[in-house]
Amino acid sequence: MNTSNPSRLRVTGSLFVAGLVLLLTGCTNVNTYERAQSQATPNYVADKRVITDNTLAGTFRVVSINQATVSGNLLKIQATVENLKSSLRTLNYKFEWVDAEGMAVDSPNETWKAIQLQGRETQTISTVAITPRAVDFRLKFRE
Amino acid sequence: MKLTKGSALTSALALGALLALTGCETVQETRTVDAKGPEAVNTSAINSQDWANAADQLVASLLSSNALNNAPRTPAILAVDRVINNTQLMVDTDLLIKKIRVALTQTGKIAITNTMGLGERAVVASEAAELEEMQSGKKEKVLVPDYTLYAKLIQQSDKGKNVTQNTYSFQMSLVQTKTGLTVWEEEKSIAKQTRRAGSIGW
Repeated sequence: MNTSNPSRLRVTGSLFVAGLVLLLTGCTNVNTYERAQSQATPNYVADKRVITDNTLAGTFRVVSINQATVSGNLLKIQATVENLKSSLRTLNYKFEWVDAEGMAVDSPNETWKAIQLQGRETQTISTVAITPRAVDFRLKFRE
Repeated sequence: MKLTKGSALTSALALGALLALTGCETVQETRTVDAKGPEAVNTSAINSQDWANAADQLVASLLSSNALNNAPRTPAILAVDRVINNTQLMVDTDLLIKKIRVALTQTGKIAITNTMGLGERAVVASEAAELEEMQSGKKEKVLVPDYTLYAKLIQQSDKGKNVTQNTYSFQMSLVQTKTGLTVWEEEKSIAKQTRRAGSIGW
């Protein structure tokens, strides 16, 4: 057997590097189990998407967005986000509110939040409007 | 003029000394960042983004709980009770409480009393009320709070070989004054790991 074959060496080298990368990045995926027939009846929101970062859009996917009313008249928004990669990723997100006239509603706690998602993991992120004037929302992502 | 080897060496040394003494001046650079964004300087302590996150999560939890739905009036009167800081940090707890006060007031469901409780005291307002009472001869009725808000900050430090983890817990309770019952409680935690300088990887 000729072990000094350059193409074989190249393949072996690539496999070694790939293994090393997987070892260093810690490829941890998440297995999820849930009720087959969901009892919940979420009020889904049809969303419009503006993508300016294709890499980010290829890493995180918004599975669904649903809304509810809490404390009588305050809007609560929940988005389900999935990490499309097989390794741990950090997502920065922010919710913004808009009133009936289309004006931005300033909220003192409107802030970028960071969450970590394991490979292929799905998580929910949510927020509550602090004023009944908020009727619409914007959800922003950045890596 | 011809430089000798000795004078060239002396000149080089003098130039070096001059540079060393004056220092290579670097211009200090300052930029404005979003205090509540990922650009905020991250330390092992609680930074501006952490305070905002904690306040936002606590307010969202309180409003989602619908605990204020059974308030005897709208807006319900809230008095801020003790805010205990059991961390090793010398921080002004208003970094948390003020954000929560602002958010709750904006909902229109809560009005915060400033003449009772251990929170902010409106000294001038109290004096003005006293003066009004003195001049009119009528005792104004002080509104009794419907709820009190109690908070506690706790820090837990865990040390590994190369990593130190500081977990900050933000605990908050809303107590109905009429019954003395806690109608809402929440705990949110932020864990921050700091790796020892020189150690490799997490």
